[in-house]
Amino acid sequence: MTKTIPQYTILDHTADLGVSITGSSLIDLFENAGRTLLHLMFRIRLVKKADLIRISISGNDLADLMNKWLSEILYLYAGENLVVTGINIDSLSPSSLKATLKTSPFNPKFHEIIRDIKAVTYHQIAVTDENGIWTARVIFDL
Amino acid sequence: MEIELKEIDKNRWLIPKKGNMRVPGIVFSNHQLIKDLLHDQSLLQVVNVATLPGIVKQSLAMPDIHWGYGFPIGGVAAFQMKEGIVSPGGVGYDINCGCRLMTTSLKASEIRPYVKDLISAFFRNIPAGVGSEGAVHLSKQDEAKVALEGASWAVKKGFGQPEDLERTEDYGALDGADPSVLSDRAIKRGLDQLGTLGSGNHFLELQVVDHVYDNWTADRFNLFEGQTTILIHSGSRGFGHQICDDFLKEMTAESSLTDLQLPDRQLVYASLTSDRGRRYLSAMACAANYAWANRQILMHLAHETLITALSISPNELNMKLLYDVCHNIAKKELHNLDGQDTLLCVHRKGATRSLPPGHPVLPQIYKDTGQPVLIPGDMGTYSYVLAGAQGAMELSFGSSCHGAGRSLSRSKAVKMAKGRSIHRELEDKGIIVQARGKLTLKEEMPEAYKDVSQVVEVVHESGLAKKVARLRPLGVIKG
Repeated sequence: MTKTIPQYTILDHTADLGVSITGSSLIDLFENAGRTLLHLMFRIRLVKKADLIRISISGNDLADLMNKWLSEILYLYAGENLVVTGINIDSLSPSSLKATLKTSPFNPKFHEIIRDIKAVTYHQIAVTDENGIWTARVIFDL
Repeated sequence: MEIELKEIDKNRWLIPKKGNMRVPGIVFSNHQLIKDLLHDQSLLQVVNVATLPGIVKQSLAMPDIHWGYGFPIGGVAAFQMKEGIVSPGGVGYDINCGCRLMTTSLKASEIRPYVKDLISAFFRNIPAGVGSEGAVHLSKQDEAKVALEGASWAVKKGFGQPEDLERTEDYGALDGADPSVLSDRAIKRGLDQLGTLGSGNHFLELQVVDHVYDNWTADRFNLFEGQTTILIHSGSRGFGHQICDDFLKEMTAESSLTDLQLPDRQLVYASLTSDRGRRYLSAMACAANYAWANRQILMHLAHETLITALSISPNELNMKLLYDVCHNIAKKELHNLDGQDTLLCVHRKGATRSLPPGHPVLPQIYKDTGQPVLIPGDMGTYSYVLAGAQGAMELSFGSSCHGAGRSLSRSKAVKMAKGRSIHRELEDKGIIVQARGKLTLKEEMPEAYKDVSQVVEVVHESGLAKKVARLRPLGVIKG
């Protein structure tokens, strides 16, 4: 489980927030996308205690899978009050994803909120591969 | 894709029907405001909506139009009940995001020395910001009642007065709500967020009536120059977001995206006659009703805060709800189609209903004036009160704009605000602001929005609604 700051570019969108994320492989792309979402939302100062949870997602295609993957991370915070502090994708196909996530109960002392991301939209969502560089485009609802 | 725009008159532009468009597009805008639209994808979104099955007349955009997801923000579209569709993305995540305006008997000159203290008191008493929890914690049974009964549930619990209900769009409850269609996730997210403002562009604003344009209507709306008013902007919080997200995913999973020929996946839809379409409308009504209960409770919190902070009696304050309007919704409404009253499903994505005098749906108190139409501006300039007008029934399925509309992205706004104290700049203009979010004031700074006065002028001149009064902010709390 890596903790590096992910590489992403902010895309201009009048009402909300778009990002372009890259990865050297499909798994790398999905892991980076998850970390990008978390980096946009939080500054995590300290991880005191982490629980591992496993998630399994299926989708129509890679773009749908990307939406559902990021939505799941978002739901863990919005619905379960859990901040994901580590991501490991165990398996990935064009229609399914299995991952192990490190999570901590949200605590404002350790998890500074940078911005509220309310949803992952399907607007112009895309996952593409060009010469071995995987790119995802995602627009978040703020 | 190059989009052709033809000027119809100084406030309306036609996008001719081309390609897969089933109807033309109409954009309400003037020469100044239309320039902003040439650099983003909002006009393309008007075109995309025009391709959806069962759309009638035109794909419309109000003058506060800006780039959204799926529908443009400021988009209005009506669909036939048999051949038409409902699109969760066409309603938006924050189902029944909306605003309500309260009048008081206080003159702004009387409270001016206390504005700073009042804003601090609002900030303490009204839960705001990311994931904030409300004073009301619901059991699952009570949450189902909120979803069914809307604002009247809150009134029964002592939040506000029975007469508030006729001053709320649809009397604060949409028909057809059915909590049994909600996911466990949606139910869970609704339990603790009632009576919370939220984050982003949601706010509570203390204001003064700065100018009255129409004395006769202002009198009937109980508005007078120099009066203190309070405007609340909030919605259905995580509950509505989860419902939208659940149905977008369900419709995406169950539909053949190729068959739907979607120009944008966010426009995924279900037929209005399908089980999925009906279930979405039932769930959406639950969220709409939750939002009305939420704003009813927020109004009560504002009332209690003012009484305590100013040490005055409820009679001295005399706070009355002027009206509560909804911005993000799909509703079955009767409209004239080819000379016949026809039931249509009207989507308003960042638009306000605007009913003219005499409309049968209006309560008796507003039968002569038309519906109060509330248009919040940015936190540094003005908000407006208008009255619904006949032009809206003829041109926009009874709709008007819902705000100023963003002109800058949030990231551009943050860059522009670098090194500046927005808080101090507003204070220099006599506006006290408190915000929870780290980036909120920068993202929401006045320059991030279009000129609300121009937006309102387009609405007024087009006959969608008529100007009644202008309100100036004294202080604002934001999430």
